[in-house]
Amino acid sequence: MTELYATIIFLFVLFVLLGSSVWIGLALMGVAWVGMELFTTRPAGDAMITTIWTGASSWTLTALPLFIWMGEILYRTRLSQDMFRGLAPWMRPLPGGLLHTNIAGCTLFAAVSGSSAATLTTVGKMSIPELRARGYPEYMIIGTLAGAATLGLMIPPSLTLIVYGVSINESITKLFMAGIIPGLVLAGLFMAYIVAWHLLRPSERPAREASIPFAEMLSESRFLIPVLLLVLAVIGSIYAGLATATEAAAVGVIGALTLAAAQGSLTWATFSASLMGATRTSAMIALILMGAAFLSLSMGFTGLPRALAAWIDEMGLSPITLIAALTVFYIILGMFLDGISSVVLTMAIVEPMVRQAGIDMIWFGIFVVVVVEMAQVTPPIGFNLFVLQGMTRHEIGYISKVSLPMVGLMLLMVVILVAVPDLATWLPENLRQAPG
Amino acid sequence: MGDWQPVMGLPLWAWIFVAPTALAALLWATRPRTLLRPVWRILDAVYTGAGVLAAFFMMVILGLIVAQMVARWSGVTFPGSTAFAGYAMAATSFFALAHALTHGAHIRVSILLNANAFTRRWLNAAAMLVAAITATYFARFAIKTNFISEMLNDRTQETDKVPEWLLTAVTMLGTWPWEWGDLWARSGSEWVFTPVWLPQLPMSVGTVLLAVALWDYLVRLLVDDRRIEAESVE
Repeated sequence: MTELYATIIFLFVLFVLLGSSVWIGLALMGVAWVGMELFTTRPAGDAMITTIWTGASSWTLTALPLFIWMGEILYRTRLSQDMFRGLAPWMRPLPGGLLHTNIAGCTLFAAVSGSSAATLTTVGKMSIPELRARGYPEYMIIGTLAGAATLGLMIPPSLTLIVYGVSINESITKLFMAGIIPGLVLAGLFMAYIVAWHLLRPSERPAREASIPFAEMLSESRFLIPVLLLVLAVIGSIYAGLATATEAAAVGVIGALTLAAAQGSLTWATFSASLMGATRTSAMIALILMGAAFLSLSMGFTGLPRALAAWIDEMGLSPITLIAALTVFYIILGMFLDGISSVVLTMAIVEPMVRQAGIDMIWFGIFVVVVVEMAQVTPPIGFNLFVLQGMTRHEIGYISKVSLPMVGLMLLMVVILVAVPDLATWLPENLRQAPG
Repeated sequence: MGDWQPVMGLPLWAWIFVAPTALAALLWATRPRTLLRPVWRILDAVYTGAGVLAAFFMMVILGLIVAQMVARWSGVTFPGSTAFAGYAMAATSFFALAHALTHGAHIRVSILLNANAFTRRWLNAAAMLVAAITATYFARFAIKTNFISEMLNDRTQETDKVPEWLLTAVTMLGTWPWEWGDLWARSGSEWVFTPVWLPQLPMSVGTVLLAVALWDYLVRLLVDDRRIEAESVE
C-alpha cells in the first residue's frame, strides 16, 4: 500500500511543479529527486550526475545543435521571399490556388529545418501578407498555415525525432527516413482540404489570376534551386548512406552558410545572431533532456513503468486499443506541454508498455510525432498558436478555431498510420546502412 | 548530506545558502537597488560571456564533424572524434544554460503564471525559488562528481587522447602560482587518454552559473520587479 501512496505523491509533485511554472527541465529534475528519495536508498545526487553526464556528452545528440543552427541561419536569409516566388507559379493553376503555397512552402522548409515555429515564421512572414492581398479568406490562410507548419516536426530533419531517438536509443537515421512518407501524406491531406474548400465554397474564391506563360514559370522557379539543393544534400546524403544524421547536419550548416553568403545576407550580425540563437535553443532542449534523463532513472525505481506494462499485458489490450488510449493521453498532455517535453516526460513509462505490446518503435516514433503535432495547435498552450498570435494579432481562440480542421486531419493521419503501418516502416527498412 | 566539505573553516552549505541570505538581508536594510545594479551588470556580462563560450563550442562541434568526414573520405583515421564531439556538445549545453535562462529561452508551463498580477509576481517567485534550489543541488553534485573523477583519475572509455601539456595548463588554474614550476616539471609531452574531469569542467561551471543566475533573478524579481521575459519570436 505504501508503494501506492508513494506513487501518488510522486505524480502529484510532478503536476504541482510543472503547473506552478517551474522551468520544465528543472521541474523534471526536482520530481526525479523526490522519486529517488521515496523509492530507493541509492544516493540520488551522484546517480543523477552520472546519468546526466552520460546523456549530455553523447555523440548522437550533436545532430541537435547543428540542425537548430542550420534553421536559424536560413531563417535570417531571404529564403522566404524566394520560396514564395518560386512556388507561386506552380500553385496558381491548382484548385484552391495560392493557398497551396502555405502547404508546399511549409513542406519544403520543413525539409531543411527541424522546428515547427521556425517553419511557421519563415513561411508565414511572406505568405500571410501575399494571400491577404489577393483576397483569400482569413480563416483559410491562418488555419492551413498553422496546420502545415507542424510538418516541421515530422519531415526530416526533425528535432522531435532526434529527441525521441536519443531517449529510446533508436537510430536517428531510421527515424528520419520513416518521417518522409507520412510527412508527405499529411501534406497531401492538407492540400486535399484546400481543394475541398475550393469546390464546396465557390463564393469565397478570390478572383482568378491571369495564368503566366510556361517559360516565365520556369524562370521564376530558379529561386527554388538553392533550397532544393540543400534538401538534396541533407536528406539525400542520409538516404544514400553517405552520412550519418550528425554529418548531414554539418553539411546542412555549411550549405546554409553558403546559401546565405551567395544571397549577400550573411553579415557578422546575422551570423552571430544565428549562432547565439541556436546556442540558446539547444541549451533549452539540453536542460529538458537532462531533467528527463534523471527522471527516467528515478521512474525505473518507482516500478511504475513495469507495473503499467504488466497491467497492459494482463488486460490483454490489443495494440489498436493501446494506440487509441495513447492518442487521447497525448492530446490531453499536449494541451499543456510542448512536443519535446511530452515526448521526454512520457517515454520512460510508455516505452516498456509499447514494446510489451509488440509495436515497432520506429513506427511509434512517427505516431508520437503526429500526436504531438496536434499539441502545437491545441489550446490553451500551443506553440504555433502563440507564434501566429504574435504575427497576426488574432486571438488565440480564433486561431485555434480555424486550425481545428487541421487537427481533424492529423487524427485521420493517425488512423491511416494504424491502417497502413508500412508508410512509416518501409523506407527505413529498405535503407542503405550509413557508415560509422 | 554528510559529505559537505568544510571550506575556509565553514561547511559548504553555510557558504552556499546562509552567507548569500545574510548578505541579502544586510543589503535589504540599505538601498538594494543602487547597490545591486553594478553587481547585476557584472553578472549579466558573465552570463553572456559563458553564452559566447558555448557558441564557440558549437562551432567546435561543426569543425570536428567536418574534420571527421574529411578524414574518412581521405582514408585518414581520426581517433576519438566522436568522443570529442560529445565533449563539445556537453560544453555547449552547460555553458549556455544561464545565458538561455536570462534570455527567457527555457520553457515553462505559464498558464497559471499569467493568470493575474499576483501570480505573475508571487507564483513566479515561488517557482524561481524551487528552480534555484534544484539548480543549486544540481551544481553541488556536478562539482562533487567532477572532483571524484579527478581523484579516481577516471579516464575515457574511448580512444580519444589529449596532450599532457593541456592538462597541466588547465590544472594551473586550480593551483597557486608557486606550485606551477613543480607542476610543469612533472608534466610530460605525451598524449594521454582524456581524463574525464577535463570535459566535466564545463558541467561544473555551467551548473554553478545556472544556480547563480536563478538566485540572482529571484532577487531581481523581489527587489526591482524585473522579470525574465519569454523570448519573443519575431
